[in-house]
Amino acid sequence: MKKVFLSVLFFSLAAAAWAQVSITARVNKTALTLDDELTLSVEINGASGNMMMPSLPSLPAFNVYSREIIQNTLNGKTTTSFRYTLMPRFVGKATIGAIRFTHNGKTYQTDPITVNIYRNAQGVQNAQPAATTAKAVSTGNYDSAVVKKAPQKADPNLPPLERSLANQAYARGDENYFLVAAVSDVNPYVNETVSLAVRFYYNRPFYDAPYQKPSTSDIFMEEAGSSQGTQSIGGVLYRYEEQRYLLTAAAPGKAVIGPATVRYMTGSSPLSALDRLFGGSLVQAEETAQSEPITLQVRALPTDGKPKSFYGAVGDGYTLTAQADRTEVEAGEAVTLTITVKGPGNLKPTADLQLPAIDGFKMYSTQATSGSVPASNGQIRGYKVFKTVLVPVASGIYTLPAVAWSYFNPAEKAYKILKTEPIQLKVSPSTKTGAGIDFGAADPSNGFQTLGKDISYLKTTHAPAPGLLARLSTWQTLNWLMLAVLALSVLFASVGRKSLAQKRAYAAAKSRLKKAQSDEDVADAVSGYLQQKLKISTGSLPLKAIVKALQHRGITPATAEAFLLLWQRLDTARFAPGTPDAQNVQHLAQQALDILKLLEEEAK
Amino acid sequence: MKRIFAAIVLWGLLLPAVWGQATPLQQAEELYRQGKFSAALSLYENELKNTPNDPYVYYNIGNCYFKMGSKGLAAANYYRAFRLAPRDADIRHNLTLALESGGERLVPAGIPTVLHQAFFYLSYTEIQGLLYILLWLFCTLASIWLVKRKLGRLVVTSAGLLLLCGGWFYLRHSLESEELAVVASPVAEIRSGPGTNFPASASVAQGHLIVVQDAKDDWYEVIVKSQGIKGWVAKDTVERI
Repeated sequence: MKKVFLSVLFFSLAAAAWAQVSITARVNKTALTLDDELTLSVEINGASGNMMMPSLPSLPAFNVYSREIIQNTLNGKTTTSFRYTLMPRFVGKATIGAIRFTHNGKTYQTDPITVNIYRNAQGVQNAQPAATTAKAVSTGNYDSAVVKKAPQKADPNLPPLERSLANQAYARGDENYFLVAAVSDVNPYVNETVSLAVRFYYNRPFYDAPYQKPSTSDIFMEEAGSSQGTQSIGGVLYRYEEQRYLLTAAAPGKAVIGPATVRYMTGSSPLSALDRLFGGSLVQAEETAQSEPITLQVRALPTDGKPKSFYGAVGDGYTLTAQADRTEVEAGEAVTLTITVKGPGNLKPTADLQLPAIDGFKMYSTQATSGSVPASNGQIRGYKVFKTVLVPVASGIYTLPAVAWSYFNPAEKAYKILKTEPIQLKVSPSTKTGAGIDFGAADPSNGFQTLGKDISYLKTTHAPAPGLLARLSTWQTLNWLMLAVLALSVLFASVGRKSLAQKRAYAAAKSRLKKAQSDEDVADAVSGYLQQKLKISTGSLPLKAIVKALQHRGITPATAEAFLLLWQRLDTARFAPGTPDAQNVQHLAQQALDILKLLEEEAK
Repeated sequence: MKRIFAAIVLWGLLLPAVWGQATPLQQAEELYRQGKFSAALSLYENELKNTPNDPYVYYNIGNCYFKMGSKGLAAANYYRAFRLAPRDADIRHNLTLALESGGERLVPAGIPTVLHQAFFYLSYTEIQGLLYILLWLFCTLASIWLVKRKLGRLVVTSAGLLLLCGGWFYLRHSLESEELAVVASPVAEIRSGPGTNFPASASVAQGHLIVVQDAKDDWYEVIVKSQGIKGWVAKDTVERI
């Protein structure tokens, strides 16, 4: 019975303890400088169900920038933590008043917390031992300009982009809101990836700030992420929102990056619960922050030494790999060849790799995909993957040749060539019958199938000697000489034929006269002689003209007279024919022969 | 007796070595079979110095270039072989393949292959030789006719044949007179003037046939036969045939 009573008592006390609600508040430091942030943590234990937010007191000495809520439940007990990031606004002692929390009609509150805000770290170090009892070192000139330091310079070891942004920010430390922009290189090469960063700095609250990114011409621009950060400028801590871009210029010459713009509302929103809690001011005005435009002088890539395998990539640290999805296949089976290029910057604007035809394979068109992934140094790494399907048409051992891909290294100002390793493929004869790939137009059913085309094999001997026709053409001089000889012989033959005819004229006439049967035969024989020997046509010339022609050939007048009488007699016989008298004909023939003999002797 | 014996021994030692030594063509073929096309090419080019105008050596050089992927240079050498031995089926086949790889055709579109083969049945020198023979025949028959007034019909027939052959020879001579070249680099850019400062109007892949019309410094003025485009190309991108 005693044990039962003790148990009930124990559980009652435990339940009471379990149901107890508490609130605690603490800060991560009680002494800080204007450049520091203060984290205020409020923890509520034991409250469950619909819970109200803790009510913060007015905090004129701080700007509240963020709030984080973390809720944990362990064994049915709920702990809710609220974490606020406070940024001190001015030097002096600041008190965070009691933080109240109402749960089930009961209000809980924390004790006030006092913190000391110093101008610099030296003050913090001096004050640190007596942090809890430190007094205000300033009674409050709350203008940040009072604590502004001389213009600062960024760490020279910073990368150019960060250094430029920081220096621009230092130069504008007298403003509460401003926008700056910088690029990693103002003198890039065509297709070289350049980082552009735009930062919006502020040390006061704002809300509703639409951002307009910078405009560009002839530049390919891609977003590369955003980030936040802080920077102490003249002793005042500024927060900034940063947006990054990757730029790639497509053509040499000037390229202008226009200004980025942020339109922001100063003061606080009347709808903001936080600002209601902090007792912030009402909306004041709409302001505009704008960055300065940036001019890039884009350099053209050198044409000297540009490899054929250059597709436009500019940068350093590229890698090229080639891989076949399998290295042992049957003829007619597909092999996927994947070639991957990886490297800094954006590879999207580069041209696609042109794969050469590979003997023994049917090739399909290459498919290219590209993208980018964030790199550890805040940059991005691009990749481009080329895939093609190869189908071996016959069995054998094949080697896929090395594929070249080049890029321009701006640091070394030189082109670099990357090559993949050759890949060996073992292709065995196809075991699939009737379902093979038909590469030709032939009907597989007739037992013949064209698998591909290749050049014919070597000639293993020298060509046979040229034939007669070809050799004849080489004897050009001899040919023309022979033709000339032939022409001459024809000429001589022709002339000789005429001379012979002349020589034979008397003999022919004599023969005809001996055989003459009529006066007409005698006349024809004489006419023939005159025609052949002396080229005198008796048919077309009158008798006087004939006699004159004879005299012109050197015939004596007596002979000419005798010829005249003979011709007249022949004319009489031809045009007044009587009964042929063989004796008269013979006599006339003999007379004609005598005259022809005289002509033969006298004619020149 | 001793001398004869020594001579026999010397020949006995030397002959197997002489017989066993492979000829350059055999060595080149062996390299080709092993896939060492570049080494085979060197041997064939050396062989060409000893036997210039051997169509088979040109053909083999073309094969080496083809296997090395230089289809333009292959086409140039096949074309040289084709000019010397147009009836060889292997040469015609390989030339056709090399030209087709560059988008060209050996037989122009619209012309029957048989007609093309007939037109190129004889080489240029063979047509020249045939022309001489027909000229001889005609002159002989004409001489007989002049002297004897005989064989008149044969004279007319031979004159007809001579005219036909003369026309054939004229057409082939026109083609032979063209200064042909082949695009040898993977791509040749056709520009409007002899220099890189003139804009490129077209690009031509290797294996295309072009006709060289003029030359200025490092540039040729050319006509791309298949396209009818005229322009200038860098000398180092083409191979004269």
